[in-house]
Amino acid sequence: MDTMNKHNRSYAATRAVIKIVSITILTIGAVTMLIPFIWSLLTSLKSAENVFAHSAFWIQWPPDFSAYKEIWEKVPILKYAWNTLKVALIVTFGQLLTSSLAGYAFAKLKFPGKDRLFVFYLATMMVPGTVLLIPNFIIMSKIGAVNTPWALILSAVGSVYATFLMRQFFLTFPSELEDAAKLDGCNPFSFYWRILLPNSKPILTTLGLMAFQGIWNDFQWPLIVLNDPEIRTLQVGLSYLTNEYYTDWNLLMAGSILTVLPILILFFCVQKYFVQSFKLTGLKG
Amino acid sequence: MEITQNIPAVVKKASINKNKFREALWGYLFITPNFLVVLIFTIFPVFFSFYMSLTDWNILGQANYVGFSNYQKIITDSVAIQTFKNTLYYTVVSVPINVFLTLVLAVLLNQKLRGISFYRTAYYIPVITASVAVSLMFMWILASNGLVNQLLVSIGLEPVKWLTDAKVALNSVIGVTIWKGLGMNMIIFLAALQDVPTELLEAAAIDGASRIQQFTRIIVPLISPVIFFVTITGVIGSFQSFDLVYNMTHGGPGYATTVIGYYIWQQAFNYMHMGYGSALAYIVFIAILILTLIQWVLRKRWVYSEE
Repeated sequence: MDTMNKHNRSYAATRAVIKIVSITILTIGAVTMLIPFIWSLLTSLKSAENVFAHSAFWIQWPPDFSAYKEIWEKVPILKYAWNTLKVALIVTFGQLLTSSLAGYAFAKLKFPGKDRLFVFYLATMMVPGTVLLIPNFIIMSKIGAVNTPWALILSAVGSVYATFLMRQFFLTFPSELEDAAKLDGCNPFSFYWRILLPNSKPILTTLGLMAFQGIWNDFQWPLIVLNDPEIRTLQVGLSYLTNEYYTDWNLLMAGSILTVLPILILFFCVQKYFVQSFKLTGLKG
Repeated sequence: MEITQNIPAVVKKASINKNKFREALWGYLFITPNFLVVLIFTIFPVFFSFYMSLTDWNILGQANYVGFSNYQKIITDSVAIQTFKNTLYYTVVSVPINVFLTLVLAVLLNQKLRGISFYRTAYYIPVITASVAVSLMFMWILASNGLVNQLLVSIGLEPVKWLTDAKVALNSVIGVTIWKGLGMNMIIFLAALQDVPTELLEAAAIDGASRIQQFTRIIVPLISPVIFFVTITGVIGSFQSFDLVYNMTHGGPGYATTVIGYYIWQQAFNYMHMGYGSALAYIVFIAILILTLIQWVLRKRWVYSEE
């Protein structure tokens, strides 16, 4: 009895220690993750002369919103946001449409050469984006898409990766439903449109979020194909801001906060699907 | 059903063939839009890019065939060599640290703790934040009078030129890269850990295995394919990294933070050396191809050994 108690007590003690150590490490990590955002937000709420006048730990109270007002006047930020949103929405819906159609064909329809084509498809996932930059820039300039939103849209409306994930999802779809639909005289398209898509909302939402976030945050490709300030996306606009207002930190931080905010809000609204999309990235290999 | 039974066999067969033919047509039709995009913007560019790498094209003039001289030039280009070294350093430092930290975090988060979802969310946020905003935030944090240096000074240490000292700058970029990437691999590990059967760990605990033994002898071997996957994807990602370097240091000071992803961009779109840039990109392509193939082959072997 006595040894048993002792054992239990030492076991409980170990568990308590593990818990405390875990929480300490996790808290230090979480604070490290969040401090850059908090510090940026605090800086954006200082007036220009106060950014350097006081120590880093000084907080302006009441907060000063002049940086946000100034950025509104100096940078066409609404226009950038609209340019980004427009492209992101078109790409998201375009990619969902083409990838779900192709994913359905690969999962459920029979046609000669399907398996070979699918292996070929998978193989293209090995092609890194870096090797595509130069040839795609040349293609876009040949077809006159450089400096238009089409340069961002055309190359992104189809996706091997999304097709692959759609196919994996559609494979789990019960064949009985499909057979029943066939007997009712449904052709493949009406089955896809009326039965498959309405029953695939989780995967569509997850992949849609991935596409949307990818385009919203994309930087290198828009930097290369958009020179015209009129059609810049938010990220490219924010990056150019550093050239003009090099040490206006309150202004730069206000810009950063503003471009991050929409994605953050989206994240908190549909966190479940975001986490799902991260997990799917693990399936890619 | 009755009607079909009455139809003569020949007609039936013909209608099945017709149906098959129709289904195949639908199949091709459904694949076409997606396939066209992949064909034009992924498959064709792979070949086109190789052709480009054999020319001296600089946008303005004509493209002349120059054989493999662009590739020969890489070997004698001291900046390219420095760039490869930087990329290697960047990869060898950032990837293992990332894998180690994310694995530890995932193990810690795979417990029943109060407020666990707060912790998880905190690590996700940098992942969804655009790299440009991350760059700007850290330019300010690492500025000469930024947060980190003010902290150092307040405890009596010398301030550091985080982004402008050639000896330090690449390490700073690595630090920011790790900070931004933790949440991503953490989720992948967390999903893998949740697949580890708890009976196995309980049985080991009864046999007297300590927690550390459970981790090194059971958990790590079981999730080793995931560790490997995360490592290879990390290497592939760091071979292509661009955004943070472009925004935070522009490859400088000097070429101290010029990694290959940045150098390709600089050659192709700053100096308009499309041919040379393509050759550099092709080197990266082949390196990544080899890594991916190794991963596929080893992965198959692992899957086999699991059975």
